Amino acid sequence: MTEHQAFKAWVGDLPADKLKPKKVRKDINLTLWERLYIFEVLRGLAITSRHFFGNLAGFVRPPKGRKRKIPTVYYPEERATLPVAYRGRPALVANPDGSERCVACGLCEKICPAFAIAIVGDEREDGSRYPASYTLDLSRCVYCGYCEEVCPKEAIVMSDEYEGLCTTRRDDLLYTKERLLKPAARLAQRIDYVRRIYAKCNY
Amino acid sequence: MIADLTETIVKILFIFSINVGFYAPILGWVERKQSALMQDRVGANRASIFNFRIIGLFHPIADAVKVLTKEDFIPDGADKFFHTLAPFLSLTPAIVTFAVIPFGGSYELWGHPVQLVIADLDVGMLFIFAFASISTYGVVLGGWSSNNNWSLLGGLRASAQMLSYEVAMGLTLIGVFMVYGSLRLTEIGAIQENFFRWGIFMQPLGFVLFLTCAIAENKRAPFDQPEAESELVAGYFTEYSSMKFVMFWMGEFLEIVTISGIVTTLFFGAWHLPFVSDRMLLSLFAGAGPNGAAVLAMLVNVAVFFGKVSFFIWLMMTIRWTLPRFRYDQVMRLGWKMLLPLALLNIFITGIVLLV
Repeated sequence: MTEHQAFKAWVGDLPADKLKPKKVRKDINLTLWERLYIFEVLRGLAITSRHFFGNLAGFVRPPKGRKRKIPTVYYPEERATLPVAYRGRPALVANPDGSERCVACGLCEKICPAFAIAIVGDEREDGSRYPASYTLDLSRCVYCGYCEEVCPKEAIVMSDEYEGLCTTRRDDLLYTKERLLKPAARLAQRIDYVRRIYAKCNY
Repeated sequence: MIADLTETIVKILFIFSINVGFYAPILGWVERKQSALMQDRVGANRASIFNFRIIGLFHPIADAVKVLTKEDFIPDGADKFFHTLAPFLSLTPAIVTFAVIPFGGSYELWGHPVQLVIADLDVGMLFIFAFASISTYGVVLGGWSSNNNWSLLGGLRASAQMLSYEVAMGLTLIGVFMVYGSLRLTEIGAIQENFFRWGIFMQPLGFVLFLTCAIAENKRAPFDQPEAESELVAGYFTEYSSMKFVMFWMGEFLEIVTISGIVTTLFFGAWHLPFVSDRMLLSLFAGAGPNGAAVLAMLVNVAVFFGKVSFFIWLMMTIRWTLPRFRYDQVMRLGWKMLLPLALLNIFITGIVLLV
């Protein structure tokens, strides 16, 4: 299938004129009322002053029990609720007993476009594999989420963490396995989302 | 003699403290907060002293500390003398013009007549025009001496724009002077004791024209061609830093105050409340004795005047954050092809009405 055919298949049978980009109309004939400008200015002033006086009520603090009209989040005091699709710091999923799900297959290491992941795999007594060390260099990580996409064990997912990544020492950004591990219960939403979005089946 | 001198010094100190000490720093805060509220934002509110924030009122202080500790930089190849002179030429007229604007009526205090204006010139309005023209030099010199293309373009635009709009502004005010028969601002203010003699009723077209021209003179949006951030970095003050930058900035804010003062004096009844004459005000406070009544009436008048001034400052801020910037040719077309003929028409109509 050529690229053109793929595009056709994607857009379906929309009429051709709907697919064209919208033209910038340079020949708009303003009415005399609009050309006088002063009345349009007054209309604009009415709109902006409506916003001004409307927001003046919740200026100091929102009235009790009422939601503030201004959608700004006062960051350190308030936190925004992030969508589940948000890609924060990658986290290793930990089983309830504290062991990692990772089997050190090395797929994430392979796919990582920034070469941020370094894994040393090992084998337990019973023959199951585990990463002896799993290092994620967050100073290189680009938060693309490929590791999560490629992981066959749902062992690494992007968490919703975005804090603590600012530091003055590079060593602080070298995250070891212990720092990356997060209980599966706290990542359940994301794991579920990943299953849906990448159409992963339950291995 | 001593009493007169004291009175003048007190008046100068009052105006200076209210303009430079109150309006100049507070307008920086007002501009941030008002624009934020108009755009559904919160605005600057993080500067704090001991964790007290008071809706961002500490930001002017933080600004002051910042600019005072900044390096005062003169670019290589700049004309040092004019580069230093320009901000002074820009700030001084903005402060000085308030000298002729009356901020209250005349009162009899302990047998001593007090007129609440620093200099009661009989050519008050011409004085304002003269000094407004000087502030053009500040902008043009600042743009030219900076040795910077953006600055030069800004200065050129400023000179063209300010000259064009000064013509229309002068012609607009002729209508006002025809109606009131005086250039003395205290007289114009005193006539407007009668609510129906307010300038807005006598000269409605003149008011709109004057406000437009005044905003253009002040170089604020929608007439901020000289400093057009998206085109000229910061226009004529691109190369300024530290206190010199603040002087341009303060000059701009104080010009807003001055323009609001002029508009209030000429068109919105100066220090008078509508339907309240000076005598009514005095009789209202008659219980405080003659001197006490005069003092109270004076306080009310000054408060009314600065209340009106604050309203016009709000209006000009609203206009600044509502309208997009004009293109350069639009500015010129508006000035020469719209405002100038309209100002002439205004004079013509005023003349006919006065004669008939």
